[in-house]
Amino acid sequence: MTLPLVQINNLSLRYGDFVALDDVSIDFMPGTCVVICGPSGSGKSSLLRCVNRLENFDKGDVIFDGQSLKAAQNISKIRSNIGMVFQHFELYPHLSVMNNITLAPRYVNGVNRDEAEAKAHKLLERVGILDQAKKYPNELSGGQQQRAAIARALALEPKLMLFDEPTSALDPEMISEVLQVMRDLARNGMTMLVVTHEMGFARDVADEVVFMDKGKVIERNESGGFFDNPQSDRAKEFIDRVLQKI
Amino acid sequence: MNYEFDWPLLLEEPNWGWVIEGVANTIQLSLMAWGFALVLGVLIGAIRMSKSRLLRFIGTTYVEIFRNIPLLVQLFLWFFVFPLLLPDDLMRAWNRLDGVPFFTALIGLSLFTAARIAEQIRSGISSIPKGQFLAAYSTGLTEVQTFRHVIIPYAFRVMIPAIASEFLTIFKNSALTLTIGVAEVTGAAKTIEAYTFRGIEAYSAASLTYMLTTASVVIFMGWLEHALRIPGLIGKR
Repeated sequence: MTLPLVQINNLSLRYGDFVALDDVSIDFMPGTCVVICGPSGSGKSSLLRCVNRLENFDKGDVIFDGQSLKAAQNISKIRSNIGMVFQHFELYPHLSVMNNITLAPRYVNGVNRDEAEAKAHKLLERVGILDQAKKYPNELSGGQQQRAAIARALALEPKLMLFDEPTSALDPEMISEVLQVMRDLARNGMTMLVVTHEMGFARDVADEVVFMDKGKVIERNESGGFFDNPQSDRAKEFIDRVLQKI
Repeated sequence: MNYEFDWPLLLEEPNWGWVIEGVANTIQLSLMAWGFALVLGVLIGAIRMSKSRLLRFIGTTYVEIFRNIPLLVQLFLWFFVFPLLLPDDLMRAWNRLDGVPFFTALIGLSLFTAARIAEQIRSGISSIPKGQFLAAYSTGLTEVQTFRHVIIPYAFRVMIPAIASEFLTIFKNSALTLTIGVAEVTGAAKTIEAYTFRGIEAYSAASLTYMLTTASVVIFMGWLEHALRIPGLIGKR
């Protein structure tokens, strides 16, 4: 029997009086690509940030690969097994693309520079921006920056990739180049949790869709079923609204 | 105005000697005070960002005290009041020291400027987007590694103009130390004026000295800023 890679147990998170996550319990199996969607303020990004404890949760726990994050003393070590991609890329502007990618392998895993660069070389080729290696982040287009950020997250060979609205800050014509890279990752069996409003990606690439509202998981379904036959009224409303837009 | 300028007068002894001594004192005092202020300022700035309430309180108290008392008053406090607070033996030893005015000026200028630099450091680090921390943490870098490799190199580049401007300020503020007897540029000009009644020449020479020095600092810092610029982000040329 396969064990879940991520197990979230009774997780709660507040920002002052605002309840971001309300007693959420859910787990994710290795090798699956799950899209988390819902209206803004529903807690999707908060949930994602709890999975690598960038957010200190109040109650409950996250078990990643058999380790409790709440009790973890070596959180940095655990985080190095979880890649994360952000809405605004968050590449380090003072480092070249190459150095952005090699920084963590060199200082977290102690890989020597040559080896780290050889690896980065392969990753840049994979995301299609090998020719941009020596440039600095702000010299790249948004789509290229996000692909570089994906390469940076992959450099530590993570078991899990978290995507926090990876295409929301991009111009429309650059969205597809980023989605293409994500699609390839999913095809190659990477475990992925993706917060996104790209319903096309959710329908075509994701194995499952999780719908959240007001800090709770309202519905979880395989992606086909979610779109064709949503169970909750709230999800129905949401799907109607986002699909109408197109 | 009917005035005959006598510029060569400045090159005559003892005037020239005073000029040289003044310039040397000003530069030495400013550089040393800036160095101390930078180290202390980084330290105070860092503890103001600390997680410990006590450390933050100490940092904030320091900044508010030293930033909010006029420098001239601080110099007088260090020169006239501080020695009186020392135990008798220590006070006598302090007064017997050579160059008490210089050391007093160094202490006063350094502590005053450190408060200002601490604020620059704090605002420089606060200006770094929170996402940079999250990105670094998410790749498994520890807090120390994140500061060492990501936040400080980034913040330092943002802060170069502010740190340069603090040096120009300390350099000009050093003129105030003539009031406690430091023979720096302004003090030298005053001495020459007193002996020769040639105030115009003396103070012109002093002004020129300040301007030449600050101009070279501005040029150097401009070069440094350009050399360390982040391509595509700041320092575009």
